[in-house]
Amino acid sequence: MTLILDHITKAYTDGPNEFKALDNASLEVKAGEFIAIVGPSGSGKSTMLSIAGALLSPTSGKVLLDGENIAGLSSKEVTKRRLDKIGFVFQAAHLVPYLKVKDQLNIIQVLAKKGKKHGNDLLAHFGLKHRMNNFPNELSGGERQRVAIARALMNDPQLILADEPTASLDSKRGQEVVKLLADEIKNRNKAGIMVTHDERVLSFADHIVTIRDGKIE
Amino acid sequence: MFLAIRELLFAKTKYILIGLIMVLTASLIFIISGLAQGLSSDNASAIQDLQADALIIEEEAEGEIGNSFIPADEREKMIEAQGGNNNASTLAIRMMNTTINDADQQIDIALFATERNGILMPDVAEGMFPQKADEVLADATLKQEGVRLGDQLQVEENTSYTVTGFTADQRYSHTPVVFISNDELEQFNAVAVQGEANTDGSYEVITKETALNGIPSYSQEQASLNMMIIFLYVIAAFVLAVFFYVMTLQKREQFGVLKALGAKSMYLIRGLIGQVILLSLISISIAVVVTFGIGALFPADMPFTLELETMLQPAIIIIVVSTIGAIVSLYQVIQIDPIEAIEGAAY
Repeated sequence: MTLILDHITKAYTDGPNEFKALDNASLEVKAGEFIAIVGPSGSGKSTMLSIAGALLSPTSGKVLLDGENIAGLSSKEVTKRRLDKIGFVFQAAHLVPYLKVKDQLNIIQVLAKKGKKHGNDLLAHFGLKHRMNNFPNELSGGERQRVAIARALMNDPQLILADEPTASLDSKRGQEVVKLLADEIKNRNKAGIMVTHDERVLSFADHIVTIRDGKIE
Repeated sequence: MFLAIRELLFAKTKYILIGLIMVLTASLIFIISGLAQGLSSDNASAIQDLQADALIIEEEAEGEIGNSFIPADEREKMIEAQGGNNNASTLAIRMMNTTINDADQQIDIALFATERNGILMPDVAEGMFPQKADEVLADATLKQEGVRLGDQLQVEENTSYTVTGFTADQRYSHTPVVFISNDELEQFNAVAVQGEANTDGSYEVITKETALNGIPSYSQEQASLNMMIIFLYVIAAFVLAVFFYVMTLQKREQFGVLKALGAKSMYLIRGLIGQVILLSLISISIAVVVTFGIGALFPADMPFTLELETMLQPAIIIIVVSTIGAIVSLYQVIQIDPIEAIEGAAY
């Protein structure tokens, strides 16, 4: 198992009340598996993704990434895990506005202090080589999301997390992007989780997990 | 610096505009420093460059040479007490009007009367060292008033001096200094001493610094210019602090994403400080060129002294205060949570 979320609860206090964004939720994802998390707004799916991505620590429960519980690590260690083991594809791509496409990928290597830059191979693989000297504002929405997927693969992570990857795309582009994501996860034997509202792309997932009021159904 | 440099290049216009403000502020700091330096020499270079370590004056003078009056018959005793003419000389300063070769134009000069072969006589830059009682050594700025070697300087009704030589950088109270022999004076103002000064208590020993501040208007002049310079430092720090604070606020989402991708706060902070230092360095370099350009346009008799060494200190201060200004933004960078990269996850 690449990722095990074991009885995760995330509670927030709201005045005198306690509010559970996630209530005793468990999930397992193995290498080569692509899971879609669906549910209404405020159901806790973003919280789930943030905990899986080591951006948020759970109130209780264990997060085992590659066999290691990352729930109790220091923030410095957690940052390092994100850099080494997790790839993110954000809503609206979230590319850095002042970096050319090739540097969007190279920044990952710079942060990881790894010398060899294999960004060009990835760009060629994604059919973006002719765009490598363009800035994000010169790309189409689909191209931006492809760059974001390439960036997520840059550090050769075990886990890829996608937050609403189709939110800013029309349905055709959205399907293309999710298909690409699913193919990469399969071919590279990564574990993948995607949070989405978009029912048209669910067919690309191996499993669909529905969350309602912080509970997995 | 991977991100920092690329951002500077991408957002050129913003950074060029803020850089321009920095260039103007730094230029103003350099120009006022040059003016302070120039006025300081114009007012007191004769005291600053005096070949002595300390001055002995009357106690009642309270540090002001001009208020100290010592009768001439004390001279030998006092010089002897300091170890003779090789260690000490008397100094009498008088502000006078003079006319050149009986012309009508009046010129202000400062007469410095001292022993002809004593330690205070400056080196000759042009002409000859005075030999006779009525021969004098004059500051070279008198040449701008039309004085030539051999000219007569008429002071009072029946005293006149012949200029036999010029010396450099001898100004006092914004007037050129003329060195005369002290043979006929009834009193003098101070005894200048090289090395340690010995006094028996009826006199006061002051440093050259104290003597400088005793020159009329010297400390007021310097204080008002220094206050302007300090204000400019504060302005430079604030302008940069506000600029980088707003820039950091604008980049909040982007910093969140970078942190989510695995950037440490320290990496982002290094980039920010790097940008501030780079911006300051480039602005200061341009300001140095601008200041020398403006300096070249000033009239020659304007008291304005510009040297690279004296610009170094303000340059370093500008970089330091700019960096301190950027610290305001550091807290912003540190407290940005990477969770902000995921929509709807932050409560």
